[in-house]
Amino acid sequence: MVRATSTPRPRLGVVKLASCDGCQLMLLNLEDALLSIAERIDIVEFPEATSHRSSGPYDVVLVEGAVSTPEQLETIHEVRREAKSLVTIGACATAGGIQAMRNWANHDAFRAAVYAHPEYVESLATAQPVSDYVKVDGELRGCPINGDQLLEFVAALLTGRRANLPDEAVCAACKRAGRVCVMVAQGIPCLGPVTMTGCGALCPGFDRGCYGCFGPREQANAASLGAQFVAMGQTPVEAGRLFAGFTGYAPPFRDVITELGGAPGIPAGHAPSPASTGTPSGGN
Amino acid sequence: MTTEAPSFERSFRVEGITRVEGEGSLHLTVRDGEVTDARLRIFEAPRYFEQLVVGRHPDQVLDIVARICGICPEAYQMSAAGAFEAIFGVTVDPQVRALRRLLYAGEYIESHALHVYLLHAPDFLGYASAIDLAKDHRAVVEQGLALKKVGNELMAVVGGRSIHPVNVRVGGLYHVPTREELLAMRPALATALEQAKATLDFVAQFQAPPFERPVRLVSLRHPDEYPLFAGRLVSHDGTIDVPIGDWRTVFREEHHEGSNALHARTHAGETYQLGPSARVTIAAEQLHPVAREALARTGLADQIARNPFWSIAARGVELVHYCAEAIDIIDGYRRPAAPFVPWTPKAGAAGWGSEAPRGTCWHHWETDERGYVTRAQIVPPTSQNQGQIEADLRGFAPSVLELEHAEATRRLEQLIRSYDPCISCATHFLDVTIDRS
Amino acid sequence: MTSSAVTTVTTEPRRGTGFLPRAEFQHLIDLLGEDGRTVIGPTVADGAIVYGEVRAVSDLPVGMGAEQSPGRYRLVDHHDERYFAYAVGPTSWKRFVFPPTLDLAESHRDEHGHVSFGPVHHEIPKLAFLGVRACELAALGIEDRVLLGGPYTDEDFRKRREHALIVAVQCAEPGGTCFCTSMGTGPGVRGGHDVLLVELADGFLVSSGSEEGAGIVARLGLSAATEDQLVEGSDQLVAARDRIGDPVATAGLHDRLLAKLDSPRWAEIADRCLACTNCTAVCPTCFCTSVSQRSDLDGRTAVTERRWDFCFTKGFSAVALGGNFRPRVQDRYRQWLTHKFATWIDQFGTSGCVGCGRCITWCPVGIDVREELNLIAPPPVLGTEAQVAAHAPRTSVFHVDAVRPETHDTVTLALSTPDGMDWSRLHGEFVMVSVPAIGSIPISISRRLPTGMELTVRAVGPASTFVTGLERGAEVGLSAPLGHGWPVEAAHDHDVVIVGGGMGFPPLRPIVDEILAHRASFGEVHIYHGARTPSDLLYKEELAAWASRGDLDVGVTVDRADTTWLGRVGVVTQLFDHARWDGSKAIAFVCGPERMIQATVSTLAARGITQDRIFISMERHMECGVGLCGHCQVGPFFVCKDGPVFSLAQLGDVFGREGI
Repeated sequence: MVRATSTPRPRLGVVKLASCDGCQLMLLNLEDALLSIAERIDIVEFPEATSHRSSGPYDVVLVEGAVSTPEQLETIHEVRREAKSLVTIGACATAGGIQAMRNWANHDAFRAAVYAHPEYVESLATAQPVSDYVKVDGELRGCPINGDQLLEFVAALLTGRRANLPDEAVCAACKRAGRVCVMVAQGIPCLGPVTMTGCGALCPGFDRGCYGCFGPREQANAASLGAQFVAMGQTPVEAGRLFAGFTGYAPPFRDVITELGGAPGIPAGHAPSPASTGTPSGGN
Repeated sequence: MTTEAPSFERSFRVEGITRVEGEGSLHLTVRDGEVTDARLRIFEAPRYFEQLVVGRHPDQVLDIVARICGICPEAYQMSAAGAFEAIFGVTVDPQVRALRRLLYAGEYIESHALHVYLLHAPDFLGYASAIDLAKDHRAVVEQGLALKKVGNELMAVVGGRSIHPVNVRVGGLYHVPTREELLAMRPALATALEQAKATLDFVAQFQAPPFERPVRLVSLRHPDEYPLFAGRLVSHDGTIDVPIGDWRTVFREEHHEGSNALHARTHAGETYQLGPSARVTIAAEQLHPVAREALARTGLADQIARNPFWSIAARGVELVHYCAEAIDIIDGYRRPAAPFVPWTPKAGAAGWGSEAPRGTCWHHWETDERGYVTRAQIVPPTSQNQGQIEADLRGFAPSVLELEHAEATRRLEQLIRSYDPCISCATHFLDVTIDRS
Repeated sequence: MTSSAVTTVTTEPRRGTGFLPRAEFQHLIDLLGEDGRTVIGPTVADGAIVYGEVRAVSDLPVGMGAEQSPGRYRLVDHHDERYFAYAVGPTSWKRFVFPPTLDLAESHRDEHGHVSFGPVHHEIPKLAFLGVRACELAALGIEDRVLLGGPYTDEDFRKRREHALIVAVQCAEPGGTCFCTSMGTGPGVRGGHDVLLVELADGFLVSSGSEEGAGIVARLGLSAATEDQLVEGSDQLVAARDRIGDPVATAGLHDRLLAKLDSPRWAEIADRCLACTNCTAVCPTCFCTSVSQRSDLDGRTAVTERRWDFCFTKGFSAVALGGNFRPRVQDRYRQWLTHKFATWIDQFGTSGCVGCGRCITWCPVGIDVREELNLIAPPPVLGTEAQVAAHAPRTSVFHVDAVRPETHDTVTLALSTPDGMDWSRLHGEFVMVSVPAIGSIPISISRRLPTGMELTVRAVGPASTFVTGLERGAEVGLSAPLGHGWPVEAAHDHDVVIVGGGMGFPPLRPIVDEILAHRASFGEVHIYHGARTPSDLLYKEELAAWASRGDLDVGVTVDRADTTWLGRVGVVTQLFDHARWDGSKAIAFVCGPERMIQATVSTLAARGITQDRIFISMERHMECGVGLCGHCQVGPFFVCKDGPVFSLAQLGDVFGREGI
């Protein structure tokens, strides 16, 4: 009566670029659902969990991490070719992650400062979100992604509906949860007003300001919030650094950092623009 | 690098451990049946953490260093927090310190349950993954997942979430839970304690490859508590015994071609082993009585010290320990009046370490007069273990060379996984090539 | 809440006012907590005075107050014994009568495709609200009108309201952002409470406002208040009123504000506004909600959850295919402010603002509505009393009796219900179609049948894709027909012009059916249908049959032709740009994409059809379908309840305005 439901199990791949592994770990952290998911989804590539390997094709591939080396650049194009649907998971894949803070800096100097033999280390001048290089069909934000959102994504995939992932500010979830605004009541700078919800307004519940794990929400007025931080007594560079976290390379956070300062290793008032995007080999 | 003066050493900082989490490969060179070279190559993308933290406020640093590793964020947070607190002269309130141990206990339970059940047990039992293992032994995997979940829940209660918790700040925590919130965890922990004992009994029946070798075990040791984020840095043979901040007086880092990870050795160029086997051996007296008794029942203490494959039993012992200690902390908890001690910034430098589930994670931090970071060195456990892993591979490989390639590969991988280097390279890990020239 | 009461302060204590010494206050808390009630009142947490459980006097904010200014709130210790010497904090009572999240319904779809829908039952707690201010009583009164006053009601809200005992406390310590005086809601309490307290230096004046309250007061066994005590109480209130002043000029505010929809100030506010939703979240009257489904992994069981939603988010005004009627922050801010202070009055006969000041204090960047109103522009115009209530529509299971493909992505489903109800008699323009675990979408009725209806659906999102894939015998959930449809009876003895673009055509088909059933009652009938391509044309056979009757003028056009197409090419207005009919006797019914409607309307106007005779159907984001969730508002209208069909005369200024 209804269309056949005995479709073959979707083939899922999990692929990692420059990242901390935390987002793919979230899949293993769905302890109650993990074995049920494994019965319904054919996990063909997930090096964190299984020795079985597959280079595709995939119905869905979850990509964790930023594109930051020539090899990763090749990988992401290969994965894109093999995937019907490519979904980026986490701040590194969706916004460049913490390593994208180097995009404001001189890459060669960075590399030389960390490694005795920089010539042994291959990396691109910038760390970029996956969508700067290939088409992305969906994204799960967060540093790390949220387990409930991941489960919702899987349920939606299996049910054939749209995942219910709100695009509202952290403030909306914070107020539903009955939390008191830390910015208004305690003068603590909080990125909640400009950050996409998804974490359940975690940090204000722990008496601290949001630090932007889920990245800018649509219409994020980061400039106004940055100005408010300065009005509250932060120096411009301090205010800029609050944005220069795990999603700082995503516009408009990126623009506020460039405007106010706060990128790593850059003295106050001398913040250059981030290295140009989309030119993987171009250094600065 | 050995030719460089010690004062120049700081210029080649490790930017963070994640470099061992990516893909790796092992190249063995065999001559006349003898392994002449074993080289582990790791291709994790460089992430430059030690540069990214320069100019940052220490509290922001704690959030950033957590991102070095999604599996053991607390190791990085606690090591850095310890260093900053040493610089600023902060003593954390005892109850807040207990909460930090509780948070870290959650990370141990999560990480060890993950490793024992999802990553390492399939090796001993001949499966490619825990998902395959679950097809034949669902209850076993479910027990592992249940234990793992308790660890995650503990981290969420104290730290806000299991991956990249948000609660640690210099001087203490941002927020302290109520006694009721902690007590709500107690029934689950009581169950977990029994499951942890069952886990140890379960893995004690495994057959480990007979591979005993002399090794130097290194960990923190504290007279009054199982080593976590305080004590002295010692070796089991008594040859090393220095304050926690003095790692550099004993060890140094080297940068090898073909790797984005720096490797650590003693100044004499010797390798050493960190992790659960080292701790269980070095701090046997500080184990919770319940864990000590469970270890004694297995009769594996000597094996753990000598055979790297028995690290799985050491993890079982620590699972028992941290479930038991978590219960004790909760039972003795009185909500502190303030979650953190205010501190005054100053210029300074300090080294500090903490025991990540996979071994000592050592940091060195320098600050300016506003307390902002001017320089950082982060030495993750896996880069310290890597030399010993290679040495073990050289020693172990001859016993598997005659096996067919797939089986030989599996055995070599199992050895590497014994060190729990970090999961993505630990599981599939290897593209093994054997040069039989 | 009448305008004449704006400046009146109740200083006259009720007869029978008693005095409760401070030392005996615990007795009152204990009495309130009897009969299984939980006492909710002010308590200090996380740097603010919030509402939480109160078991003892020590739970109250003894001696505490707060400094409040735009974007800033700080607790201050007055070092005295008072319990209620503070102005309202971030929590409002709305949270307890209209929960932030609420499971509404459970639905199932079994492996054979059978569907079922059922409500989720909630245990309604018995609560006593301790410390309710005049402005908050006014807010509860407004919520009553919104949620209980219309044709559809929120029964969960009703029960929670009925289960709450209200202990009001007269305001003595207004905050720096208060303006209840301007909104006519305070500071004096004027009813709506069960018990009223006035806090004095050494105790409380206690009086009752209801029978239940009188019972509690009687059990306190109080001595009568002295004259001095009564004077102390009234002096406090007068002082409070004087401190607040009259910060907002509300006379004529409704009209003044609506006259300023094009003010450049909206864009200036948007430069600062974070669209963070804090103002609406702390507002005690904002009532907008969204629903979504949580399902199990297999989509067999789903729970429909309602949660507070906010007109500052993108999703709030989003429609299918990525469209959004309020794309800019300035559109959203304007919607919020003009709704609160103007169109709310058109809808509910009262302002939506009580002047509690929360939206000012809790705005992270300190945007001050008092200042903005005075800058942009205006006294609340009072409307009519609320109507008789009816229950919200239930979801009924319908069967698919027939499926007719219309185009590659569009089908017409014939649906009937086994419940025996005569659906043809139910008015309404559209139904909410629900699929467990997938979603719920509004679909216009494209034909009325004796036992059900036809729905023509295009596969756009997951829910509509699922519905278009249904086969004969499948089940779906349908609400009763909702909204106001086409006023076909108004066209009797008139010529009729029907213009349908794309998927705008199906809603118009029942008009044609009605005309054909009573053909003699209408004059000339012109039917125009435009589609993107020939393969997107709907009801091709019916159109041909209508054209061959001879008593209908049927025109069809496509935007882009293909090789098979011999008909007209061009936009739909070209079909009647030069037609010879006389618009002065015609009534027009128009439905289609917003841009097509605008072009059609101007062509029709040029043909002499006046605004009161042009009816259009509006598309907006709809969730509840009954005017309770707030998403589909356009100016003073709820598209779902007041529309979706409107005359242009009715819409007035609202029609065609960007971002409204």
